Amino acid sequence: MSTAIRQFVRAAWPPLAFGVGFLALWELLVRGFDIQPFVLPAPTAIWSAFTVRLTEVFEQTLVTGTNALVGLLIGTFMGVLMSLITVRFRLLEELITPLAVALNAVPIVVIVPVLNNMLFGTTSQIPRRLMVALIVFFVVFVNVSKGLRQVSTTHLELMRSYAASASAILLKVRVPNALGYLFTALRISAPLAVITAFVAEYFGGVQNGLATGVRSSLNGSKDVTWAYVIGASALGLTFYMISVALERLQRGKQPADKFT
Amino acid sequence: MTSQPAVNVRDISMVFNAEKSGQVDALRDVDVTVDSGEFVSLIGPSGCGKSTLLRLIANLIEPTAGTVEVNGKSAKQACADQDYGMAFQQSGLFDWRSVAKNIELPLELKGWDKAKRAARSQEMLDLVKLPDRGAHMPWQLSGGQQQRIAIARALASHPPLLLMDEPFGALDEMTREHMQSELLQICEVTNTTVVFVTHSIPEAVYLSDRVVVMSAGPGRITDVIDVGLGKNRDEGTREGDSFYKKITEVREALRGAELGDGARGIEDR
Repeated sequence: MSTAIRQFVRAAWPPLAFGVGFLALWELLVRGFDIQPFVLPAPTAIWSAFTVRLTEVFEQTLVTGTNALVGLLIGTFMGVLMSLITVRFRLLEELITPLAVALNAVPIVVIVPVLNNMLFGTTSQIPRRLMVALIVFFVVFVNVSKGLRQVSTTHLELMRSYAASASAILLKVRVPNALGYLFTALRISAPLAVITAFVAEYFGGVQNGLATGVRSSLNGSKDVTWAYVIGASALGLTFYMISVALERLQRGKQPADKFT
Repeated sequence: MTSQPAVNVRDISMVFNAEKSGQVDALRDVDVTVDSGEFVSLIGPSGCGKSTLLRLIANLIEPTAGTVEVNGKSAKQACADQDYGMAFQQSGLFDWRSVAKNIELPLELKGWDKAKRAARSQEMLDLVKLPDRGAHMPWQLSGGQQQRIAIARALASHPPLLLMDEPFGALDEMTREHMQSELLQICEVTNTTVVFVTHSIPEAVYLSDRVVVMSAGPGRITDVIDVGLGKNRDEGTREGDSFYKKITEVREALRGAELGDGARGIEDR
């Protein structure tokens, strides 16, 4: 028990010391050189702005977080579904894969204003969620497709020696093999979902969300802006940590050397 | 027991890339008969078509010409009926399934119920002398143990025929000799016919009733050697004079087949 604590302390003190030292240096520089708050506010000023606006920052974080989560879920679902369909039906693969690649090549966030004006109006969160879903879809689709395809030849020959049907091979070999790839895709796309949701808010639409908060506070004192940045960082970290935890949970059933 | 052979290969030819410039005669006019209860090894240099021949018997590929019969049925029907089990150089165990669930896979595909599957997998674990490893995951086992589980899986549905493609090729020498003895015991108990691909001469001699010597370009059978070491082979068999004589005989058959080409890919151990 005490060794566990000691180990934790030993692992935690270097990043902690660095973080505290960095903030202290920042504070010192701002005070020492008398830097104005609209250029760079001190950490203490940011923290007090953050605590004062806690509910507001939290509300906007919730808006952006919901957009990211909804997009992430839709994108993951579509990505898994499409990769299952394309691995099962050859013709559809030749149809969908180039389309997905082409879609990914379009700088997707610039479509947000188009969607805002064209389809959903400026009162809808749907364009933002769509953007997140599209970005996530591609990451999941590419990775899961790879996992479904890269099965060992020995496994395939074995299944064929059992006269197993294509569906049985999909269910018993390809899908379990792709599971690790899915969680890797999630680890990559979870923070990406937050970033996309954040960036999509810059391109107009409803006047809420973290990026809207950042943008509307840019004219005044920067400590408010930084308060929203804290919210954005916390959101990104939360998404990342949940996806890492999910991957760990899944990896627990696999040999350690398979993933590095 | 039926009088028909376990495996009957007639006038098999196998050409890869037939219409292209890179045409490969993997096998030409090959005839093999394996009787029920027999242990037959296929030996030869790389590219002699021994693995191709095994895959033709397993119906994993279809021949360009000729017929393959397993237990008097077409290879396709025998595959559908799961008349044989297979083991490869890689154990091919599924990392996401426990050892017991790996053994149960062919039974699952046959639609056996859960209790029957569990009973059979325990029976197979006892057979390969790993009775308490069922709940382990494959990567927790050593290479030799993994290969034993692969054999247990291949024999799970009690097929009369076992097809093996260099199953001990990746194991160290000590483990390998141990596994060979185990395999002979298992086949004795279960009365299984075996077709065994190898490129180790001592392995072929120790295990087999007959050794089929093959050569490349085009792949063909050049010799069939009766080993005649009897049924009850043990560690003493490896030190007997007749064992060494047979090894020499197989080696010379391989050299003869490969004159001017060198016996590449043949292990002399």
